[in-house]
Amino acid sequence: MADKYIARSTAIAARMLGGEMMVMSAADSTFFTLNEVASAIWQAADGRTPLSEIVAGKICQEFDVDPEHAQRGAERFVDELSQHGILLVSDEPLVESSPTLVSR
Amino acid sequence: MTTGLVSAAEEVVTIEIGGTSIDLRTQNPSFRRLIENRYAGFLGTSPSSHFEFDIDLYDPSESAPADDDLEVKIEEGEWLLQRGDFHARWNPDAGHGQIRQACSPYAIDAVLRIVHSLILATQGGFLVHAASAIRGGKAFLFSGVSGAGKTTISRLAPPDATLLTDEISYVRREGNRYMACGTPFAGELARVGENQSAPLSALFLLEKGLQNRIEPIAPTEAIQRLLRNVLFFADDPELVKLVFQSACEFASLVPIHRLVFVPDQRVWDIIR
Repeated sequence: MADKYIARSTAIAARMLGGEMMVMSAADSTFFTLNEVASAIWQAADGRTPLSEIVAGKICQEFDVDPEHAQRGAERFVDELSQHGILLVSDEPLVESSPTLVSR
Repeated sequence: MTTGLVSAAEEVVTIEIGGTSIDLRTQNPSFRRLIENRYAGFLGTSPSSHFEFDIDLYDPSESAPADDDLEVKIEEGEWLLQRGDFHARWNPDAGHGQIRQACSPYAIDAVLRIVHSLILATQGGFLVHAASAIRGGKAFLFSGVSGAGKTTISRLAPPDATLLTDEISYVRREGNRYMACGTPFAGELARVGENQSAPLSALFLLEKGLQNRIEPIAPTEAIQRLLRNVLFFADDPELVKLVFQSACEFASLVPIHRLVFVPDQRVWDIIR
């Protein structure tokens, strides 16, 4: 299965508060509060690092979770946020304004 | 002097809310009187900021019902505001706009709410669905959706409390503090607020319960609930970001609590 690359949308407002990341979609005003694990994925979403590498190199290192469980959770999280345009997802590394961007 | 002519100054009604003055210019004397009566406690000018609108009234046959969808958008630096009973354009840089509207207080009331919400958004403040009052020199906000108890808490206010509004509160940022200002935007009490302001001491998120108590609330939940109650009309991403940042800043400077209360005057004993 092809790896996913994720990047934070610019059409959001976000702020970290008390270890939780608050994210609001500028498009539809949907509001999310991310827990520590989700916040770590969010912060690592640089468009260049594959999701599997974020999970293996960051999530599994920093939090006590098994890799399979963490990968499934990360994919669910990415799917949900991408549906609101908050995360951009692609099968290739993301470059800003690239035509290969896929926002689901 | 000439009589029988209305001078330009006489055609203008200036409404000052939260330190921001808006001149409303209309050539229709009965509509001018309607505005003067509706905003009686808020007539005057403030030197801090000043905007003006020319009002042109529809023929009665032109307007659609007020519950038509509201649209607020920005096009080439100019805000367009429209609903069945009004159509307005406003250039914030020029400070000038035009309103075509029904001869109705509801239309001008809606335009004023929208314009103030847009002005406040750029200044770190906001309009919020909340009752507010001043007591002992401190202002308190009581926020909640319809039915949460804004009117009830206003009705229960003791005689030494000054009611700023029972429906729409005006929150203005001043340096590292926030001011709550009176508004003429009335709710069920149908009573305009007092045109006064005071430093905001706390925001209470209202919940009806079996006893009076104040509970802590997690900062993220407080911000989320505050955002739900902020009046926000425009479908504009930049404005969404501004309002979000304003809510976060507000929560970092003003204590936010959950106020569970029974409809009894004693609830005011615990509001400090």
